[in-house]
Amino acid sequence: MTWPRRWSIPLLWLLAALLCGAIVLKTPVVADLTLFVPRDDPVAELLLEQLRSGPTTRLILIGLAGGSESDRAVASRALADRLRADHRFSRVANGDDTLPETELRTLFAQRYLLSPTVDPQRFSVDALRTALQQRLRELQSPLSVVQKRWLPADPTGEMLTLLRIWQGGLRAPAKRLGVWFAPNGDRALLLAETRASGYDLAAQRQVVTAIRAAFAAASAGTPIRLEMSGPGVLATLAEDTVRSEAEWLSVLAGLAMISILLLVYRSVRTVWLGALPMLAALLAGAATVGLLFGQLYALTFAFSMTVLGETLDYPSYLFSHRRAGETVTATLIQLWPTMRLCAATTLLGCLAMVTPAMPGLSQLGLFTMAGIVAAVATTRWLLPALTPADWRPPRPIGSGAWMDTLLIPRPRLALTIGGGALLILLMLALTAPPLWEDDIAALSPIPRPLLQLDQQLRADLGAPEVGQLIAITAPDAETALQRSETLARWLDARQAEGLLDGYDAAARYLPSQARQHQRQAQLPDPARLAENLQTAMAELPFKPDLFAPFLAAVAAARNAAPVQPDDWRGTLLGARIGLLLSPSAHGWTALLPLSGVRDPQALAAALPAADGSAIYLDLRAETSRLAADFRATALQRFAVGAALIVAVVWWGLRAWRAVAAALTPAVIALIFTVALLLGLGERLSLFHLVALLLVLGIGVDYGLFFSRPVADPLLRRHTLHALLVCCGSALTVFAMLSVSALPALHAIGLTVSLGVAASFIAALAAARPMIETMS
Amino acid sequence: MNRGLWWLLWWLLCWPLAAGAADDTLTTVMQRLAEVKTVEAHFQEEKTLAMLQQPLHSSGELYYRAPAYLRKRTLQPQPEDYTVDGDWLTVEMADGGRRDLALSGHPQIQPFVEAMRATQAGDRATLERFYQVDCAGDAAHWQLRLTPRDPMATRYLTAIVIQGRHGWIDRIETLEADGDRSLMTVTPR
Repeated sequence: MTWPRRWSIPLLWLLAALLCGAIVLKTPVVADLTLFVPRDDPVAELLLEQLRSGPTTRLILIGLAGGSESDRAVASRALADRLRADHRFSRVANGDDTLPETELRTLFAQRYLLSPTVDPQRFSVDALRTALQQRLRELQSPLSVVQKRWLPADPTGEMLTLLRIWQGGLRAPAKRLGVWFAPNGDRALLLAETRASGYDLAAQRQVVTAIRAAFAAASAGTPIRLEMSGPGVLATLAEDTVRSEAEWLSVLAGLAMISILLLVYRSVRTVWLGALPMLAALLAGAATVGLLFGQLYALTFAFSMTVLGETLDYPSYLFSHRRAGETVTATLIQLWPTMRLCAATTLLGCLAMVTPAMPGLSQLGLFTMAGIVAAVATTRWLLPALTPADWRPPRPIGSGAWMDTLLIPRPRLALTIGGGALLILLMLALTAPPLWEDDIAALSPIPRPLLQLDQQLRADLGAPEVGQLIAITAPDAETALQRSETLARWLDARQAEGLLDGYDAAARYLPSQARQHQRQAQLPDPARLAENLQTAMAELPFKPDLFAPFLAAVAAARNAAPVQPDDWRGTLLGARIGLLLSPSAHGWTALLPLSGVRDPQALAAALPAADGSAIYLDLRAETSRLAADFRATALQRFAVGAALIVAVVWWGLRAWRAVAAALTPAVIALIFTVALLLGLGERLSLFHLVALLLVLGIGVDYGLFFSRPVADPLLRRHTLHALLVCCGSALTVFAMLSVSALPALHAIGLTVSLGVAASFIAALAAARPMIETMS
Repeated sequence: MNRGLWWLLWWLLCWPLAAGAADDTLTTVMQRLAEVKTVEAHFQEEKTLAMLQQPLHSSGELYYRAPAYLRKRTLQPQPEDYTVDGDWLTVEMADGGRRDLALSGHPQIQPFVEAMRATQAGDRATLERFYQVDCAGDAAHWQLRLTPRDPMATRYLTAIVIQGRHGWIDRIETLEADGDRSLMTVTPR
């Protein structure tokens, strides 16, 4: 080999690696769970919008724990004041959310258009007298001091109605010292709504930092702890956790693999040679995903660990098969058909995951495919360029005559294992244990303790869970409000029947213009109102001209322009409306979050929506349904992948006997793995499925190697040695992953480590006997 | 030296003494009030409001049990019942309506409750948390002027003036910021 030729491959590799590295550095890592939601479902689209930017995703739940009760209350007020001054929050509530004076005045000025208690009877003599008597009683009460300011202009108490609506909404937590507290009093509670979507991670990161800073200032000198949750917070924390956990696990896994290589081959060179395909796989995988998607999903990042484990196999095959008197290239050429086939099967298995409808799964597939190609190519062409032609690991440990006993074909054992697998399959079919994990939380990269804190804070706050809601779509805001009003009347009736505890709606705060016009028309003309009032006031001790402001206000309201959503822009009132009524892709969407729904299905079925403009969304059921749909599609893809694997193995071996010998162990291993997983109480999620596809790939690899038609017993020993190393390193790495706190890593780790062990045993026991008894 | 200057000097000399005496009186009054374990009384209340042509009159009964139970039961002109026990205020209206609320959750109500309850309990610490307390007279005939400390409260309350003899409260006058006032006279039952 001439010098330039010898170094051209490493140079090329280095250039490619640097290019990939540059792309990876520019690729942002995101934790958007919605990437895993299918894209072609109309309800899903609405749901997606909710998951991405709906009001509930903008909530940040804050708990202040520790210190004394008054410390916590003081800190709650101080924190709320600071956050309210921050434009990144559209609303900050801590129980002390009295409207600012200016907004109280706005509300007061618009009371005759907004108050639901305004109707034709409201200003009759009788009703006025009843109202005045009621006001008189209130004046007598010791609590009148605060209320009487509105009296002269509002004797019928419309402002009181409006304030009650404003402070109502969904269930509010108990108060202590004027602010919200958890029922047992050990933490003060706040609720912040961000302007940015919960999945705008960059913005959420800023928001979280802002809250931390505000808290540090608000709680200085007290031992109070800050607790935070909510979709945005969880997403940022999840990103951090995935990153750090993937990092330390990859360091640990790397160390383990280095130790294995050192221990087995007793050569430092094997370590860095073995690391090159892995490095190539990581860089190529991340760069490909970065180029095609523009972002790397946090879970793909975590998933890269699996590729890491698999790519060590290729250099191991090479190291273990090195023999004296044969060049490195010669060994590789001899291994190449099998190695190529191994790579091709895994590749095709992953190709099945690539589909535009599911960007998340596609990322996983593409990452693995690019990684495998890079690792195989590195092993095939870079490694021989970097080693002397006759190099081989000095003293491979473990290889010896004892292997021959292991390699003796044992047809009975093979039959027993095969029979056992069939029995298990039969049992699974008969008992039909709960197989699938339909809770989308299982897809979540969020560690359990954080989810528990989230649930705790949610329960304490009575915050609207991402649960039941009705979505109304309409061409414009006015129609959306009118439809909300119709639906609200229906919901009021259901609430009276006890079918739900309450609901919220934009129309509660801001009636449609039609409704406002209707109210205006019902307001009496000034002369008649004055006359009615005169009569009603007789014998009551109010001063004669006390209610002049009232008469003027009603007269003004008769000709006032109706209040529109835009009129409240930039105010607290507007912020609350904005969350419940917002422009969407097809016009306007009004949301009615429900609380305490007894029977979601019954309520959804009874929903009067002849025109299909109102959709009942049971987010939990809906996400579960989506997870199930998703899983069904993934399963389909899995089947396609398996078929492709069979096809490519046949294409490579061109003999049904050999194909059966290579594939049967893999199938047996899959059955055992699933049975073991179910036996351990796992339910299969997306990650288990993806990991099973990998197990299938690995199982086929083992089957292919064990069933290679090799006459030389020494070469068979080499193969067994290579596979022992592969199996050992994969077991070490994936067993590490299986103890991870992240559900995804745990699922992948457990499945692959069980699968690798099962594959190895099945391949060793069944592949050789099959090929030999059949020939 | 002229007469005026003499007076000034005299006053300057006596002022600390006088202040000390007022403080002593307050301590004594508080002690006397604290010794009372239960009170049952009639009350008459007269509210003078700018909005009304004539004052509002009401009457009823007061009950107190040391240290934290206070009930104002209005009988005329319509029955109404306010009971404070610890942190809980229960309001029962003539129409049967009932509301329970925690005082600590309603900072605008608590000063009104404590003006009466903490005074009768002789709980000076609580009283001084909400009010600046000025004491005049002596233990046999005293007057406490309570000026709210919280700026929010001063927006609608100027002062509450309480007069009494030994451990008994005779009258409570509430002066609101807008000039409205109410006078409650308490007589033994």
